[in-house]
Amino acid sequence: MYDAIVVGARCAGASTALLLARQGHRVLVVDRSSFPSDVISTHFLWPHGMSYLNRWGLLDQVTAVTPTHTTIDIVNDGIRLTGSVPTDLLREHFRDLHGDDSGVVQSYASVRRRVLDEILVEAAAKAGAEVRTNFTVRELIVSDGRVVGVRGRAADGQVFEERARIVVGADGRNSFVARALDLPKYDERPRCTFAYWSYWSGFDLGSGQIHRRGRLGCAVVPTNFAQNMVLVWGPSEWSREFRADVPGNTQRALDFVSPELGEVVRTRGTREERIYGTLDQSAFLRPLHGPGWVLVGDAESAKDQCTAIGMTHAFRDAELVSAALGRWLTGETSIDESMAAYEGRRRSQNAAAYYDYVCTFAEMRPYRHDELQLFVALRGNQEETDRFIATHADVAPVSEFFQASNLFLLNDAAKESSAGYAVFDDFAATSRMYQQNLFA
Amino acid sequence: MPHQGADTVTTTDLHQRDDGELIEVILHAARHGDVEAMTRTAAEVSDMTRNWAAHIPWDDFAALDRSGADGELAQIVADLTEMWEPAHLHSPVDPDEEYALDKNAYDFYRPAGRNLLARTEDFYGWVQARRRTETWQYSRVLEAAPDSVAQITNDLGRRTRGINFNSQDYLSFNTHPAIREAATRAMRDYGPHSAGSPMVLGNTRISDELEVALGELVGLEHVTLFPTGWAAGFGAVVGLVRQSDHVLIDRLAHSCLQQGARAATRNVVRYEHLNVEAVRQHLVDIRSHDTRNGILVVTDGLFSVDADWPDLVTLQRVCREHDATLLVDVAHDLGSMGPGGTGVLGMQNLLGEVDIVMGAFSKTFCSNGGFVASNSPALKQYVKMFGGSHFFSNALSPVQTAVVREAARIIRSPEGDELRARLFTAIHALRDELTGRGLTCMGEPSPIVPLLIGNEKLARTANRLLFDRGVLAFMVEFPVTPTGSSRFRLQVQAGHGPEEAREAARIIEGAIADSRAYLSSAFGSAPR
Ligand SMILES: Cc1cc2nc3c(=O)[nH]c(=O)nc-3n(C[C@H](O)[C@H](O)[C@H](O)COP(=O)(O)OP(=O)(O)OC[C@H]3O[C@@H](n4cnc5c(N)ncnc54)[C@H](O)[C@@H]3O)c2cc1C
Ligand SMILES: Cc1ncc(COP(=O)(O)O)c(C=O)c1O
Repeated sequence: MYDAIVVGARCAGASTALLLARQGHRVLVVDRSSFPSDVISTHFLWPHGMSYLNRWGLLDQVTAVTPTHTTIDIVNDGIRLTGSVPTDLLREHFRDLHGDDSGVVQSYASVRRRVLDEILVEAAAKAGAEVRTNFTVRELIVSDGRVVGVRGRAADGQVFEERARIVVGADGRNSFVARALDLPKYDERPRCTFAYWSYWSGFDLGSGQIHRRGRLGCAVVPTNFAQNMVLVWGPSEWSREFRADVPGNTQRALDFVSPELGEVVRTRGTREERIYGTLDQSAFLRPLHGPGWVLVGDAESAKDQCTAIGMTHAFRDAELVSAALGRWLTGETSIDESMAAYEGRRRSQNAAAYYDYVCTFAEMRPYRHDELQLFVALRGNQEETDRFIATHADVAPVSEFFQASNLFLLNDAAKESSAGYAVFDDFAATSRMYQQNLFA
Repeated sequence: MPHQGADTVTTTDLHQRDDGELIEVILHAARHGDVEAMTRTAAEVSDMTRNWAAHIPWDDFAALDRSGADGELAQIVADLTEMWEPAHLHSPVDPDEEYALDKNAYDFYRPAGRNLLARTEDFYGWVQARRRTETWQYSRVLEAAPDSVAQITNDLGRRTRGINFNSQDYLSFNTHPAIREAATRAMRDYGPHSAGSPMVLGNTRISDELEVALGELVGLEHVTLFPTGWAAGFGAVVGLVRQSDHVLIDRLAHSCLQQGARAATRNVVRYEHLNVEAVRQHLVDIRSHDTRNGILVVTDGLFSVDADWPDLVTLQRVCREHDATLLVDVAHDLGSMGPGGTGVLGMQNLLGEVDIVMGAFSKTFCSNGGFVASNSPALKQYVKMFGGSHFFSNALSPVQTAVVREAARIIRSPEGDELRARLFTAIHALRDELTGRGLTCMGEPSPIVPLLIGNEKLARTANRLLFDRGVLAFMVEFPVTPTGSSRFRLQVQAGHGPEEAREAARIIEGAIADSRAYLSSAFGSAPR
């Protein structure tokens, strides 16, 4: 009998197992994969994601093999904003969510999942969690309407049965636990992006680059093995046409969004792997908990990749749920109180506002005149540029940036005019052009 | 260990087909029961995708029943199709509804184009979408006096009647016989028109009496009247503050003060709501490099959509310590709460102690209009001259001045205490019932009861449902509140019976629950 069985051993699961085991609980964590291995993700970690790793004592292991930076370039229709997530906003974020602000770091990184997830799984094992890989959960054991354990199959075909006081579903977007419990989806947002990416060697641009133009985006971020993660994305409506020629359209998208990046990749880059892709990114929420079970990570809520936040959110869930479960397992609170605390944080107003922000962003509509003008107004205003980046990354609440009195003041404080940007020359015609599917 | 990862990278083949292509092959094979081809192709699918789509039995295709009789093949086809078809294709939405629920007003603040007339069309298209979907909460009209119940028409011409939390008349003066009598008398004595700026000949003897009465109420002798509360706030700030001066303003202070600050100087700092310590730090900061210019610190008393108020005692002290001047807007609390109707100032024992006080008559005093008060006759003359909205605007009408004077009299009388007691009985009934139903009332008990919703989509659809259910409540969203923290602002009147308030709370809860079900939303309203 375990205190907790965690199904899934990546960002959400291994972290939850690690934190519960460190509290001294008996934890079993299983995954159908073996490690090291990849999973679909462009694996960018914002500074709060890195801060979680630091809080858990794992950051050094990651940074030993992964390039990190603190300033990032966000370029929208040629309007460049360069900034970083401010430490005070990071601290505030951790205080608000977790009650303490220790271990905050300002750096970000792109960490291959085969690197990161392995570190997490090993840390969980070292903390005393029992880790079983190549182990697929195929059934939840339910008694009196309560989940009390799991049955599954190891790679060699052997069948297992284990029981625990709580089963944590950390098994991703296509969660088996959620399917077995027949859980509904809430707040579904079908509009999302298609994303295609791969790994190129041969150049080093320093900090990360995120560009948007029209309905397309691209990102180039240095990652492990002296490579760059190069990503293009666009509205899922265009995916069928994109798929007709994945390598050709990847380059075409790069050239369209950022001719400079397109050129670097074409002339200096060597692609090291096949191109990966998905458009299975519609957003949803699932019920968070029930008798004998609780969900974390993508299993509880998946969102589009366009703000690169899922892994960081999985870490956040792991800290929230392990704190909540810890209070229950030690008899400090009832399970209901403990789950209500978790739910309060996860289904809060701030969470709803950010969810809306991501889902709207994921529709990949061309930027409106208003939005581009705001980017121009932000140039030269470092404090507010940084706050904007922090808001985009879900460090600072959406409501604090997108507040009338703030937006009006940003206008008043603008240092630059929009005169120098081609997109404003004939905005209406440019917007119409942007609606055309580039790959049709 | 990370270095193990480095080894495995070489095992992936650059020329393997991408997963989309492979999945198309698998789908084709599955439709034909070709489990061998499925198995063969599955082996080529990347680890990335296999570990992601853990619900697909990638390793077990060979064992599938090729006849499809057990439905497993069909399930795999369905699951893979879901992964590779754009999701919105199978859940169509009403474009009007999507557009109406999605945008917020700020998206239209900087339209494109040089034709000032034509470029308003884009915004209008959105307004029309919200009208068509009945989610436009603005510009409704009254069909009769707005009592505790009101009859209204929305801007599509649809009528309804309901318990009215949509009007600001905290002490129910609009139907008070003495108030109406005062209006009639002034009408008879002076006619409807003031016929001039207060700097010329727009004021009457009643105006002077009103200034005295207001001065007694706030304990500050020198009072100036303005045609609206908005004009008073704007006029006070632009009257005093010059380009090189500084304004420190609560982030959530009223629009008239924010706009005044922007109009007066570029040196505007918005401080965290209610945070007096933040004000102190900003003052230290400003004074460390600027000892020559003025600093105006600006806050509301009772905040109009948050129902809370600052610690004014400390705030005023901190201001004095740094040679800053405090301006407090008591539009909502003066008359409606506090000992003898003295509002937040009286509650904090600050009558006569605050540098500058401004207010609006439109919430409790039953009329348009506003005022600025201080202990300084010089400040009064200065603001009259340089606060443009006093000098260059027609004075309050005699009827308005008379109504406000009578309201001020009742507010300070025992009847005022009685009315405030009734008001607070209704306020408590409403807040208790809403809270008891698991909803979140923000702030403190006061005539403003902000019921937190958060998400705009939820607020807009709940508001649509409420229209036909017998409660009139104003839904506030951006730009009144920050994005993602929309709410119903319920404004209570002394005329509301406690049972009426409880009934309204039940109806509101029903509308929110139904709207949540309609949107299938799982978000709650805890702030963080
Ligand atoms: C294209 C794309 C790009 C992305 N880019 C980023 C990014 O840049 N930054 C970012 O932060 N996020 C990104 N995300 C999101 C991020 O990848 C996910 O949010 C994150 O992987 C979720 O972690 P998780 O632990 O919840 O689930 P997963 O990482 O999906 O792990 C779930 C695990 O559960 C296991 N499992 C499933 N079923 C069973 C079972 N029955 N028995 C045993 N084990 C099981 C699986 O094998 C898997 O290992 C991206 C997502 C996509 C689609
Ligand atoms: C705090 C505050 N100040 C000023 C005003 C402006 O008052 P009036 O509506 O009388 O112009 C209002 C009302 O909107 C308010 O809420």
